[in-house]
Amino acid sequence: MFELFSDIFTYRDNALTRIDPRVKLLVALAAIIAVVTAARPILPLGVFVLCLGTIAILRIPAKLVALRLAAPFSTVAILVVIQTFITGTTPLFTLTLGGWTLTAKAEGLRQGLLLGTRVLGAISIVLLLGIATPAHRIFQALRGFRISKDWVEIAILMYRYIFVLMDRAGDLAAAQRLRLGYTAPRRALASFTALAGATVVHSFEQAGRTHDAMRLRGYRGTMPFGPLPALGRRNRGLLVLLLTVIAAAYGFFEWGING
Amino acid sequence: MRAVDVQGVSFTYDDGTEALAGIDFCVEEGEFVAVLGSNGSGKTTLIQLLVGLLKAKSGRIAIGGREIGSLTAEELYQRVGLVFQNPNDQLFAATVEEDCAFGPRNLNLPEPDVQRRVTESLAAVTALSLRGRAIHHLSFGEQKRVSLAGVLAMRPAVLILDEPTAGLDPAGEAQMMQLLKKLNREERMTVILATHSVDMLPLFANRIYVLDRGRVLQQGPSEEIFCHQEMIVRAKLRLPYVSRLMYEMKRHDGVPIDGLPLTIGEARAQLLELIPKEMILPGIEEIGP
Repeated sequence: MFELFSDIFTYRDNALTRIDPRVKLLVALAAIIAVVTAARPILPLGVFVLCLGTIAILRIPAKLVALRLAAPFSTVAILVVIQTFITGTTPLFTLTLGGWTLTAKAEGLRQGLLLGTRVLGAISIVLLLGIATPAHRIFQALRGFRISKDWVEIAILMYRYIFVLMDRAGDLAAAQRLRLGYTAPRRALASFTALAGATVVHSFEQAGRTHDAMRLRGYRGTMPFGPLPALGRRNRGLLVLLLTVIAAAYGFFEWGING
Repeated sequence: MRAVDVQGVSFTYDDGTEALAGIDFCVEEGEFVAVLGSNGSGKTTLIQLLVGLLKAKSGRIAIGGREIGSLTAEELYQRVGLVFQNPNDQLFAATVEEDCAFGPRNLNLPEPDVQRRVTESLAAVTALSLRGRAIHHLSFGEQKRVSLAGVLAMRPAVLILDEPTAGLDPAGEAQMMQLLKKLNREERMTVILATHSVDMLPLFANRIYVLDRGRVLQQGPSEEIFCHQEMIVRAKLRLPYVSRLMYEMKRHDGVPIDGLPLTIGEARAQLLELIPKEMILPGIEEIGP
């Protein structure tokens, strides 16, 4: 569970972590737009491979990447199956399941693969961004794009207390396990329900204590933030370069191949 | 001038629990005062009243000579700062630097002043190297020191700590107490410490208040407090271990110990007086197997 949220890699020193988070955010946004509007799977697939390659170069453990991609892969699998069997007219093959006859169609499969690669492409961009930038720096960068201060404040507090609550929930779950709380399905359900309830109660108590601590240091309803540093010439140049590359790749793969 | 002056303060929680019953509590500027009491004795209620998190039902509380009710939040929290028992309650920013800067920025200080305060407060708790670290990557001891730095950045005249050594290993406990001693002796900061840990207090505290069920049982210097055995037992506390050993040797073995040593240094001096000089071997550095 901890590995799923772990951000230790974002604190490593490498070429990506050194880039200003505002540049990374803008480039990621442009890449996601390109991926989700792509009319054929080649561009999203290319982005997916590129992101995974970069992640491999950064020496991020494969287990962590697999863990983080498990949910999107499941979504993509479901998406492809559903699209294949409900969309299109050209039959590919037929299956009989429990008295139901299902026909896979070529157009559906193509549509499913396109949607699937879009999902994987976009998710891999977010994954790479999350591996190369600490979450708090992303939130701070959002201030530069005039995102509401309240939203940024809530995001920072959520990010901070996810780890506290995860630790607490982990301790509670271990205590339940040590007293055989998960040895049978019904008992496991009861234990899990109690764990979820206790975590909610802990969250409320934690929120109260944190609010008291904030008040004692002058909190008046808005978290104060330091000034954002100016975007240097190197970062500006990098931003222009990367946006140009994305635009060129989009033009080439979407219009250039047929042209 | 008195740093803290509490006169006849009572507090009862909404469920009817009487936490404090007309207590008097005074701390002079520059003093190091410990509030000693078992669980439920009213320590936490008292410190929450001192920082304005709770409002007294009756009585008077003055901080730095001014009634707590007449102070604005900005004035109050530059006079008094509270370090919570659990650092997770207090460290809400993502990084050490952001957390320490929270208070000074709320005071609307210019950014260079904010940064100066962050540097100074982190240096005071020997945590400058942690400046850029994420809070959730810190050890418990580091979190404790950073939470202290966050409060120091407000530059309060009175520093209140709720069980500052709870959960720390012996080395961390000693480091924390040395830090507090340094702040008190070198920076002349008034320190009020709520605890039920008695062993280190004789070394650091000028005075001790013993609380039991919302009442002050006794107050005075350590040597006065710990010579009242019955009161210590009544407050569900104990003597420091070294004092207990000396007390048992005196009471059961008839060892002629003068008074009651409260620290290892005092006990050592007394024992050395009792042991014949020819029995003392010079230069033994380590205890053998």
